[in-house]
Amino acid sequence: MIAVADQPAENPFWFWECFLVPMPTGKKATNLRELLQGLREMEESVLQFHLWQSRLATIQPTIEYPNDFALWAAAALHDERLAEKLSSIDPFAYENLGQIREALVDLLEEYLWDISHNPAVEPGFEFHFCEAAAAHMRSGMVARTLNEFSAGLREVGLDSVYFHVIEAQWRLGVRKLDDFSHWLDHNFTLPELVSAIRDIDIYFYTLEEVRETILALIEQHAGESRGESE
Amino acid sequence: MANLSEYEPLVGKGIIDQLRRLAERLGPRTLVHVNSTRVGGGVAELLRGVLPLWDQLGITSRWEVIQGDQTFFEITKAMHNALQGRKVPLSATMLNHYLEVNRENARRFDWEGDFVVVNDPQPAYLIQEMRSRGKCWIWRCHIDVSRPERQVWRFLKDAVSQYDASIFSMANFSQSLPHPQFLIYPSIDPLSDKNRDLSPEEIQAVLDRLGVERDKPIILQVSRFDSFKDPLGVIQAFRLVRRQTPCKLVLAGGEATDDPEGPRIFAEVQEAAQGEPDIQLLLLPPDSHYEINALQRAADIIVQKSVREGFGLTVTEAMWKGKPVIGGAAGGIVMQLRNYSTGFLVHTPEGCAFRIRYLLHHPELARRLGQKAREFVGRHFLMTRNLRDYLTLMILCQKPGGRVVELDAPDPECRAHEPLIDPPGAGS
Repeated sequence: MIAVADQPAENPFWFWECFLVPMPTGKKATNLRELLQGLREMEESVLQFHLWQSRLATIQPTIEYPNDFALWAAAALHDERLAEKLSSIDPFAYENLGQIREALVDLLEEYLWDISHNPAVEPGFEFHFCEAAAAHMRSGMVARTLNEFSAGLREVGLDSVYFHVIEAQWRLGVRKLDDFSHWLDHNFTLPELVSAIRDIDIYFYTLEEVRETILALIEQHAGESRGESE
Repeated sequence: MANLSEYEPLVGKGIIDQLRRLAERLGPRTLVHVNSTRVGGGVAELLRGVLPLWDQLGITSRWEVIQGDQTFFEITKAMHNALQGRKVPLSATMLNHYLEVNRENARRFDWEGDFVVVNDPQPAYLIQEMRSRGKCWIWRCHIDVSRPERQVWRFLKDAVSQYDASIFSMANFSQSLPHPQFLIYPSIDPLSDKNRDLSPEEIQAVLDRLGVERDKPIILQVSRFDSFKDPLGVIQAFRLVRRQTPCKLVLAGGEATDDPEGPRIFAEVQEAAQGEPDIQLLLLPPDSHYEINALQRAADIIVQKSVREGFGLTVTEAMWKGKPVIGGAAGGIVMQLRNYSTGFLVHTPEGCAFRIRYLLHHPELARRLGQKAREFVGRHFLMTRNLRDYLTLMILCQKPGGRVVELDAPDPECRAHEPLIDPPGAGS
């Protein structure tokens, strides 16, 4: 009997690569009210960039604050209270960018209402609104079994992890649905592995941690399946 | 001349393969870089390193340099300073001379290209005469134009607006322009004299030559003697550290010759360092890349206590050498250093002293910070990333209007990860 990790998939999995180039809009906020106004008016692509694309644009070894707005509140406004509040807006918990915008605007309106002044930054620490352009390309790496998939995942760049896990949620239009678990779901009978991957709280993970967590889950679940089949 | 494969051991085979695949998708193209000098300065250094790599990727590239008389370069120097925010009067006669030199160069040039990348303000007006000779014109701005002098920027903006795209080094340098603006961070060449690996013997030989002893931990700042780099603040920090912890301070760099305050600052630094045998001031010639490399590798802690900064490539270089770095919270340093992760950010001489002491007493943390810092630079600020960004940008410029370009159709055998909906901007 073939171990599950070596069973051939019905369809192979091609790892894709994602090349992101940030695009500054030339617009900036020098205080919290201007940030709020920007959030009300900016294209959704700007929200997208500051909420999760910037994570690929500059891959930090650790995540202190999970989005650019929270980071700016802490680093430029020196307001950790606001940074904490902004960190709590998890974009992956919303259905669309319109809802996320509403939540952010609501949060800032309430915050400004309560503090009754308008915190501003020193020159050089303004918030610069950006969006991003991207090119997607198939990498040379393909997996036909779970073992090959793990080997591929270990080797691909973090842009590929970003593309298949984070970007996929918006591309596929379904929260908690990523390319990896989607492929596993359609090619193997490993429902627990599929749901464990979908349960990863990716908002608080670096891309490297996402990769490591998925690899560990595959090892755990495929290992268990292998044990059962022997 | 560097070969693309020489970068493999430093960045990994995957990155080099990625570049080849991207170049393949772009197809054979011609790329013309234009700037104002073939020697000296960061742009020339960058172009010299990158040019052979373009050819190895199948992109036919050439490097063109505009010629001008002394008056032209005095005008462009003034323009450069004005774009960085200084009040510099530029008369109509000066601007006319600048335009005439651009026109003369345009008449002399006989090249054509799919992509023309014009670096900085000196050749910016070439586009006026040569638009039809390039399919896609990109203005690459290397300087800090976050707060430009209004009149000079208005003059330059008339030319820049004619380009198809512009590239800035930091988001805060971007401007209101009628075309897409891209952000490409500066990068360092890991094979250059300034950054390549050095043997312990090579490092020691430089230290011997410069008279730097390794009898105590070395704290180093490499920068021009310029008030924005706060060398006096570094000396103050060092004196605070020295009260408790033995160490020595090396301040290495050149005088800021284009800064009228330069000689005054250097004199003040000399005075502040007087009578302190553990402070060494090294006034090095501008091409001392190899010596700077050795000093950085010999240092225990590297400081860049700038109070105003562009991107802060000296921080990048120090991080690449795996050193713990303490930087002033200014400009691009803020993006490069994160506390307890890739380094430390400080706001005052006291903060700088505190972090120096902390690192001297926590060598394991210092080692870890250095390691993370090197990984971070390896991922984002090496020349190979610069090539990748340019390739992506050229691909994007070929499909104006869309912000997402799919370079491959989904494989028919692999439906699982095929997009269920069109990504934004695709296929329109």
